[in-house]
Amino acid sequence: MKEQLDGLLQAALKEIDGAGNEEALQELRIKYLGKKGELTAVMKGLGSLSATERPVVGQMANAVKDQLESRLEEKLTQVRDANKREKLQRERLDVTLPGRRLPYGSKHPITLVIEEISEIFAGLGFQVAEGPEVELDFYNFEALNFPKDHPARDMQDTFFVDDSILLRTHTSPVQVRTMLKHAPPVRIISPGTVYRCDSDATHSPMFHQIEGFMVDTGVTFGDLKGVLTTFLTQYFGKGIGVRLRPSFFPFTEPSAEVDIACVMCRGKGCRVCKQSGWLEILGAGMIDPEVYRHVGYDPETISGFAFGMGIERVAMLKYGIGDLRLFFDNDVRFLQQF
Amino acid sequence: MIVTYNWLKEFVDFDLSPQELSDLLTMLGLEVEGVRHVGGGLDEVVVAIVEERAQHPNADKLSLCRVNNGRETLAIVCGAQNFKAGDKVALAQLGAVLPGDFKIKRSKIRGEESCGMLCSEKELGLAAESDGILILPPDLPLGVPVFEALALKDTIFEIGLTPNRADCLSIVGVAREIAAKLGMNVQYTGHSVEESNFPISERAEVIVEDAELCPRYTARYIAGCSVGPSPAWLVRRLEAVGMRSINNVVDVTNYVLMEYGHPLHAFDADLLAGGKIIVRRAAEAERFSTLDGQERVLTAADLTIRDGEKGVALAGIMGGENSEIRQDTANILLESAYFNPSAIRRTSKRLGLHTESSHRFERGADVDILLTALDRAASLIAELAGGEIARGAIDVYPRSLPSRTVRFRVKRCNELLGIQLAADEMAAIFNRLEFTVNSVEPGLLDVTVPSFRVDVEREIDLVEEVARLNGYNTIPVTMPKARVFSDRPTRHQRLEKRLRNVMVGQGFSEIINFSFMAPGVLDKLLLADDDPRRSVVRLRNPLVEEQSVMRTALLPGLLETASRNLNYRMLTLRMFELRRVYLPVEGQELPREPLHLAGILTGARYREGWNQERYQVDFYDVKGVVEHILDEFAVTSVSYVQDCLHPYFHPGKSCSVRSGDELLGSFGELHPDVQDNFEIDQPVYYLELDFEKLAMLSSDNVTIKPPSRFPDTFRDIAMLISDEAPASAILDCIGGLKIREVECAEIFDLYKGTHIPEGFKSVAVRIRYRSQEKTLTDDEVSPLHQRIVDTLVKKLEVTIR
Repeated sequence: MKEQLDGLLQAALKEIDGAGNEEALQELRIKYLGKKGELTAVMKGLGSLSATERPVVGQMANAVKDQLESRLEEKLTQVRDANKREKLQRERLDVTLPGRRLPYGSKHPITLVIEEISEIFAGLGFQVAEGPEVELDFYNFEALNFPKDHPARDMQDTFFVDDSILLRTHTSPVQVRTMLKHAPPVRIISPGTVYRCDSDATHSPMFHQIEGFMVDTGVTFGDLKGVLTTFLTQYFGKGIGVRLRPSFFPFTEPSAEVDIACVMCRGKGCRVCKQSGWLEILGAGMIDPEVYRHVGYDPETISGFAFGMGIERVAMLKYGIGDLRLFFDNDVRFLQQF
Repeated sequence: MIVTYNWLKEFVDFDLSPQELSDLLTMLGLEVEGVRHVGGGLDEVVVAIVEERAQHPNADKLSLCRVNNGRETLAIVCGAQNFKAGDKVALAQLGAVLPGDFKIKRSKIRGEESCGMLCSEKELGLAAESDGILILPPDLPLGVPVFEALALKDTIFEIGLTPNRADCLSIVGVAREIAAKLGMNVQYTGHSVEESNFPISERAEVIVEDAELCPRYTARYIAGCSVGPSPAWLVRRLEAVGMRSINNVVDVTNYVLMEYGHPLHAFDADLLAGGKIIVRRAAEAERFSTLDGQERVLTAADLTIRDGEKGVALAGIMGGENSEIRQDTANILLESAYFNPSAIRRTSKRLGLHTESSHRFERGADVDILLTALDRAASLIAELAGGEIARGAIDVYPRSLPSRTVRFRVKRCNELLGIQLAADEMAAIFNRLEFTVNSVEPGLLDVTVPSFRVDVEREIDLVEEVARLNGYNTIPVTMPKARVFSDRPTRHQRLEKRLRNVMVGQGFSEIINFSFMAPGVLDKLLLADDDPRRSVVRLRNPLVEEQSVMRTALLPGLLETASRNLNYRMLTLRMFELRRVYLPVEGQELPREPLHLAGILTGARYREGWNQERYQVDFYDVKGVVEHILDEFAVTSVSYVQDCLHPYFHPGKSCSVRSGDELLGSFGELHPDVQDNFEIDQPVYYLELDFEKLAMLSSDNVTIKPPSRFPDTFRDIAMLISDEAPASAILDCIGGLKIREVECAEIFDLYKGTHIPEGFKSVAVRIRYRSQEKTLTDDEVSPLHQRIVDTLVKKLEVTIR
């Protein structure tokens, strides 16, 4: 009987190893372990053995059963894994075909630049303020120390509605409006739309500026340099060269133009920077005492600075845009690149 | 303002390359915007000496010369007659390229070889016309390029001058800046005037009747001049700074204008009736012909220069035709005056007449330079046009303009700039600028400003001079020692950003159009004559009629943009604009500028793709966008009303959106006529929302309902309902029952046609039940559902299918 069990075990194991699929394994289970299976038949024959032989052979038969069951299980797992692998292989897609995308939108580059710059200044404690675009001469010029009949007014070609109402030529009137409303300290950034009566390849009758200013006790020209250098470094990257050179704006004194090292040629000189290695990026200065007089601040006890920059210009440098008109053509092929 | 390297060098002996000079000027606030080199490129034209001049054997008018260039003697054939052996000449050697792309080659002229050419001034581009070849001064070294030997090489700087720096509208002014920066002195050349015996009083008289507009008037008289062409050097100098040569007398006044920055005027003295100059305002509506040939109508605010009978010049702006220098002018009255800046500017602006002269007077001329400029010009005229200068100059200066002394606090200057400069260092800076400094007490200076610095009036102006001369780059970079305070963006700003994000998230591209519109564009929208959007802010000086009013609606811009993009065959568009419109308000100076949101969508619903179905967007896409916005802004009590509010919508496929009684906006398909008006031939869906209202109705505090952890169960109801009844009635009816266990009710099918009786539609609603507390059983759901069914039947008279 021992020999019979041994033979059965060897034959069954061989068959199990040779089985190629789940069905064959099920059949083998029935063939050996089923109610009418071969091993079951042997087990049934135990009764005819002597009392001394029965436990020994019984134990052997149980061991054979365990072995077969575990080998069947093992083989079944193997076969199932192989099947799954094969199925997954068959389901292989062409991953180079384009994906299914939802319609995608984009913010206008002007908005992106405004948001990014405002964020940097928010980190420096500047709050955003806004003002009207159809503006009084008083806020746009008079209170900013552009007297009537002064040549400084020629610096900005103005759209007029009537003698006292105009389209603001810069965002600086927000300085006046803010200071009239709030006592110092103030730290304000003011993005917005401005207008000049000029249109050609490099001038648009409508464009955007960001104005910033700060008034407090003990604010210095050195602080202006510090704040602007911090901003320019954060916006254009560490190590960007910054220089200030004297200039003139009626509402600041001393006034400065702020240049950065040309972002195209890194200061070597190219077409964009007209071979100078520098790009004009900001106008700035210490707020003129005359402006404080108009808003009722005491220039002896406080001081402050202001600066302004053209957003289109910043966007052109940032994104390598060569043509100002692209901003207002609103060609979706342009807009969707942002 | 244009200056040249050589001209500046006549006044300051700086040792800088053109590039270094350019940088120095820029860092002083005189921004160099352009640099041009002249007189270069002719290095093959050298100084040579004529060793021998002989007759050409085969031509009467040609000579055969032997010319030495310092290294060798060359045979040259020359057609000019104005030279002799021993003269130094300009030899264009083989290989030279003269202006006009004229290449010098070895050639045979009437059988004789010529190895170069002797040049005239015209051939070298130095003069418009010339007689014969250029004879050079005998002391020039042989073999050196002629332009170098004559110091004709020059660098021209274009300076973008800010309007405050009137003092730098001259060579001398710019030279002063260079000298101040380098700590050098300007070499002012004295101009001694050789006067004749006859006194000026015999020939001319000046009466200033309006000393307010003309504080000072000086004049000289030059008799017996001959007007003619200017010498080449003068012509070249004027051309270098962008002026055209006219004649020797006018050229001198322009030369001195450029050199000293002071405008002069030369009258033909014989055309001044009575030899008189009277400075007086014009009569109202007086007509006067300026020397550009234009007749001008003057007002009593305009200052004129007159003789005994008539106007002869528009003071400080332009002379008159009736007294200008002519070919036959012999006697000259030369004016050097100072006029009130505002008055000049007013007249110049009103007449649209902007001249080199008015440009300087309106910015403020130097009242103390008058006689210097006058004498310089008088001697130059006498030198170039002959003539005798009358003895004495007229100087009418009844009340001297006061010199300005400004009190200056050293400490305040250091505080403002963030520097630590000592009083004597600051005083030294002022001295270099030719300011006079008096120390009142330690740290307190009285600074007297020279008359040419009209821009320096206040302490802060002096602070700027300290910063400027010391260099902005010497000021240390610091961060403000500010009080800490912070405000987050306002609610309005946050909502604006959020709305932009919502639109972008729904696939819309943001556009920015001009705030202007064409007045007629509202007709294209079919707006009624009394539509409030027809009340506009109009510009007085638009660039073009299409941009002459401020927009009251965003739609026209969007449609123009859409039309343009469709023309590029971009047939699927989702675009929005969130910008201001400009709405005049009765009784207020300034218009309201509310933010509006407008968006359009047209074309395919999904992006095109190999596996995408080609659905076109329809009304329910634009409605979905609006619903999503209102959800994001947590606007409650929303209703959609088919009220045909705007004529630009398709009346059947549009509606307004309200929250309670407030109108938020409208959306729908655009009217086909409007699409036609903008040349668009596919359906366009449009939405407009008033951002201010949206912000007002937005709920900031959203209370969250915790999601139930129990399973749901759903029941469907299919019903027939009158075609007229809005679908919303069914959902409103279900919602109205306020059954707690109803989680949501959705319309999932809508059908009309076969098997449905005429005038009805079949609507299927799925109701999802779920409890917060337990798993609902059928027995619990059934009575709730029955209640809904019964209510629908009773209230809406539906037939359950």
